[in-house]
Amino acid sequence: MTLPSFVSRNQFLIYRLFSLSGLVPVGAFLVVHLLTNASVLGGAASFQSRVDLIHSLGPLLIPAEFALIFLPMLFHAAVGFAIIAGGLPNVGSYPYMGNVRYTLQRATGMIAFAFILWHVIQLHWLGAPLGGGRFDPHHATSTAATVIAPLGVSLLYAIGVLSAVFHLSNGLWTIGITWGLWTSPAAMQRANVISIAVGVVLAAAGLGAIGGLRSTDVAAARQVETRMDDFKRMMEGKAPGADAGGHGAPGFPATVPAADAIDLRAPSEPSALVIPTPTTSSIPAGN
Amino acid sequence: MAQPRVLVVGGGLAGLAASMRLAELGVNVDLMSLVPVKRSHSVCAQGGINSVNALTRQQGDNEWKHLDDTVYGGDFLQHQPPVKEMADWGPRIIDLMDRLGVPFNRTPEGFRDQRRFGGTLYKRTAFAGATTGQQLLYALDEQVRRFEAEGKIRKYEFWDFLTPVLDDSGRCRGAVCQDMVSMQFRSFAADAVVLATGGCGLVYGRSTMSMVCTGSAVSRVYQAGAAYGNGEFIQVHPTAIPGADKLRLMSESARGEGGRVWVPRTPQDPRDPRTIPEADRYYFLEERYPKYMNLVPRDIATREIFDICTTDGLSVEKDRLCVYLDLTHIPKETLDRKLGGILDIYEKFQGVDPRTAPMKIFPAVHYSMGGLWVDYEKSPTGGMLEGSPRNQQTSVPGLYAIGECDYQYHGANRLGANSLLSCIFSGLFCAAGVQASAGAKRAPAAESLFASALRREEERHEALIQRRGGGENPYGIHHELGDLMTRVATVVRRNDQLAAAYDETCALEERWRRCSLSDTGNWTNQNVVFTKSLGDMFPLAKLILKGALLRDECRGAHYKPDFEMPGIAATDPEGKRREAEQWCDRFEANTNKWLKSTIANHGADGHPKITYEDIDTSLIPPRPRLYGLVGGEVIEEVWKERLRAREAKGGQAAAREVGVGAAQS
Amino acid sequence: MIMKTDDHDHGGQTSARTIPVRVLRQDAPGQESYWERHDVPWEPNMNVISVLQKVAAIARSQDGRPVAPVAWDCNCLEEVCGSCTMLINGRTRMACSALVDRLLEEHPDGIELRPMSKFPVVRDLVVDRRRLFHSLERVKAWVPVDDSFDHGPGPRISPEDQEEAYPLSECMSCGCCLEACPQFTRIETPKREGETEEQFAARRAAAFDQGFIGAHAVSQAVLFNKHPTGKMIADERMAALTGQGGIQMCGNAQNCVAVCPKHIPLTRSIARAGRAATLWALKKLFDR
Repeated sequence: MTLPSFVSRNQFLIYRLFSLSGLVPVGAFLVVHLLTNASVLGGAASFQSRVDLIHSLGPLLIPAEFALIFLPMLFHAAVGFAIIAGGLPNVGSYPYMGNVRYTLQRATGMIAFAFILWHVIQLHWLGAPLGGGRFDPHHATSTAATVIAPLGVSLLYAIGVLSAVFHLSNGLWTIGITWGLWTSPAAMQRANVISIAVGVVLAAAGLGAIGGLRSTDVAAARQVETRMDDFKRMMEGKAPGADAGGHGAPGFPATVPAADAIDLRAPSEPSALVIPTPTTSSIPAGN
Repeated sequence: MAQPRVLVVGGGLAGLAASMRLAELGVNVDLMSLVPVKRSHSVCAQGGINSVNALTRQQGDNEWKHLDDTVYGGDFLQHQPPVKEMADWGPRIIDLMDRLGVPFNRTPEGFRDQRRFGGTLYKRTAFAGATTGQQLLYALDEQVRRFEAEGKIRKYEFWDFLTPVLDDSGRCRGAVCQDMVSMQFRSFAADAVVLATGGCGLVYGRSTMSMVCTGSAVSRVYQAGAAYGNGEFIQVHPTAIPGADKLRLMSESARGEGGRVWVPRTPQDPRDPRTIPEADRYYFLEERYPKYMNLVPRDIATREIFDICTTDGLSVEKDRLCVYLDLTHIPKETLDRKLGGILDIYEKFQGVDPRTAPMKIFPAVHYSMGGLWVDYEKSPTGGMLEGSPRNQQTSVPGLYAIGECDYQYHGANRLGANSLLSCIFSGLFCAAGVQASAGAKRAPAAESLFASALRREEERHEALIQRRGGGENPYGIHHELGDLMTRVATVVRRNDQLAAAYDETCALEERWRRCSLSDTGNWTNQNVVFTKSLGDMFPLAKLILKGALLRDECRGAHYKPDFEMPGIAATDPEGKRREAEQWCDRFEANTNKWLKSTIANHGADGHPKITYEDIDTSLIPPRPRLYGLVGGEVIEEVWKERLRAREAKGGQAAAREVGVGAAQS
Repeated sequence: MIMKTDDHDHGGQTSARTIPVRVLRQDAPGQESYWERHDVPWEPNMNVISVLQKVAAIARSQDGRPVAPVAWDCNCLEEVCGSCTMLINGRTRMACSALVDRLLEEHPDGIELRPMSKFPVVRDLVVDRRRLFHSLERVKAWVPVDDSFDHGPGPRISPEDQEEAYPLSECMSCGCCLEACPQFTRIETPKREGETEEQFAARRAAAFDQGFIGAHAVSQAVLFNKHPTGKMIADERMAALTGQGGIQMCGNAQNCVAVCPKHIPLTRSIARAGRAATLWALKKLFDR
């Protein structure tokens, strides 16, 4: 069976999986990611502890990242680009609200994809060979704040975050129609109000994180992070200060504590706010 | 043996019903239409479809009364056996359409709701909002699509029927048609041809009919030798919305749901109609016809509205004749539920909401009661014999006509909501006979027959395309023809005008021969298709005018004031009685002379040859139509006495009538 | 400027106002399209149909050149037959109910007429909408009755169900919803040399089967799946709705419902079909 014939025979299934993947896991990840990042508003320690929680997954983190984030996102993007290529936006002739949203959904999807690509290269260890990978999970706040510090970068982040947030919250509304959750115009209107509210909250969280990082005192943050790191090492029976720290931090795997070394009782600030979900990855900062 | 092949021309209710039933019977159907069949003119029918039903039955109604209302409303100018058969089939047809998914309006318990229409006292009319015709057509269109998907029906949409192909014996063996996109000609061999091409409203220029209702197919078979019956009987609908491109129908259901027709008592009262007090309003239909009120038969409503504007000078506007049709006293929710569709049309095209302001309406040409003469075979019970190849067959063997383009069911005037019934009925009913006719063994038609017919049409087409320098514009000529016909051959007819109009029509036809086309191409050339159909309007216009000119009486839609029988003038009982006797004498004399169908045959000289056909009134003896006539009750009394006297003397006819009547119940 | 005085033809006499009308013409499939300008005398209460009728009667373009009349589809002229869909001032609508005075209010420069863009042009404003009817066949938009003989009345139906079905049943297949839909794209299959009509029809149908069925067909599927007898083949309709070019192609732009001249609740139908498709897919997955 050729790919085109497989695709055309399973078009409905593929489109529904596409729709679902936008909500779970990709959309859900975005929510967790933005809320995690917003914790930077509570200070470097607060953010660091959440990052630590995520990284407590140890060796499971990489497969989890790929299975639940990268691959679904790539699938969503690939199908999404195919859909965009097959459509003919006509908002000029039919400037109705629904049509504007249709067009924006496609535009924000493309922007968000480009942004995420850039964002991953810049911060995730996968981007290291390309000169990126600047996020150090042991120094979450300081490395992220450093990266995002230039005004231009912050603005691009803001655009990227808002695109992703629009794409998700508008997508929430259309998913409900696609799957038949809300069918009448009145129900669609009510669902619309909810999806706008979700969008506003997420936008606030995303922009808050950017604002929080921009107002971070990098040196102070680094001290806090180093202290926390030393404490963890101490708990694990290792010498403190092994981390050279700073820019061009060692590759992520090198800094991951061995799975058997993780003391689950150790995290200093367990917080009800943070869902210990495996979906959160090593690219939290700044987004 | 191979299944027979039948060509059905026209995809409205009749054509689709026939195609569906034929396909079901195993006949191969070629279905041809000027437009995609789903866009046929039947979609414009708004009000409903008549039949006796469980409810009316319990109020004393039965099929016999439906027959009686239909022939009485049609002024007895139709053969009664086919009408009887139609009335008998009514309930079954509604049931069928119900099963096919037509969203008929419902009662709270889930039964079909009914409304009352003109010319009857029973709520016989089932309806689907205000778009009953559209809903019925779609249900049949869907079934035909189903058969098309199974390969039993082949559709030829955007094709123009040009001429029937007749063999030496005069039997129709197929047709020559033209693809209106590629302009290619093609002959279609067929074991029978069924014409279901509707009315000819475009002969009148603007009417309530759709743009395909040129009558061209009918005219073409008429010119090929088929007889045409009762051409002069053209229904003018009492209520239409005047417009520049067409006159849009305002359904009788607007009055059926309680709409009231009135004019201000002061001519052209400048006040906002909503502020005019009751005392200053003239509800002329209600005052003149206290029994039927606003639901008098169409011909009468039309004449009254025409009259109040022309004779009494009470038109609402000075430059444009119109009266008020008022629905504003009915709750908005009721209107939306029952009439939403048609009220939207008014609002859309006039920019005024009829829920809050009275509509302005005026009569418009609406329906051709006349059409191709068709045969029938009487059954032992007085109806039509199903399966007879004679049913619905024109004077050309093998050529059938059904729906509005036959002359069979409506006599001199059609009752509202009877046309949808007659279309579906004639389509369904004819199928078995058409199958029998098509399936009969006969030698195959010679190829040369089709080849020469095809060549003739091609040559005619080429000649028209090539014609240069005549300078006449077909659109202009059509406009003139329409104005002429509307002026002299609609509501009021006078012999001097008709005679003059006949000559003028001949002159217009001569000018048509000098039309030169602005489009001489051979791809989707609408110019040449229209010009051809315009040329085919003249034979119809001439037979309408000639038939009207010769018929010196008033009957149904045909109204000649010079031959009107006035009501009773006397006021004393004796004088009333004497005048009533005279009235009845005159009525009987007139019946003897004029209760005949006008039959037109196309003469070699291009003029119609008119003869008359007796009418089968074996079921219900003709009686005077007395809606609203002054002294009508005295005339009725005298008439009934005469009837009783005749029964006592002869007894036979009456006994037969009773016998058939009993068979009904 | 709304109107201009048309005095060059009438030797300066004060004459009727005219409406500038621009028509995008195309002589045949595969040929170049071109704009043509006409000046049409204004009259009260005109619609676009009467404008085109006048264009045909005048048979000359604005610069006085004799031209063939513009070809266009129309029939009932009262917005129930669905024939006269075209792009009027860039928006899809019915020519019969497009009133000139209102168009000029929106767009004082005149009127612009174009053929629908999602269907192959036959000539001028005439397009080939066979695909639209083919979609109705794809979703089996009919009640599968045994036959047309007498079997008594149809099923009892509550007034509520009738009131829900009726608006859907008013769809006149005009194609406005498809024209405005950003997800519905044109499929054109020109006839090949040496191909028979049957081969051509089969190839065309196969091409149509790949494309989006469109809002109108989704809505008809919902209509018939609700009907007590119609739903007896609901599974076949669901198979069509979830097949290639099915309901999943909808992008929720909701233009269909905004441009529908009959105000049919198309997006509700789409959402209901979406719900039915969800349940049907789950049923297929777990219940067989």
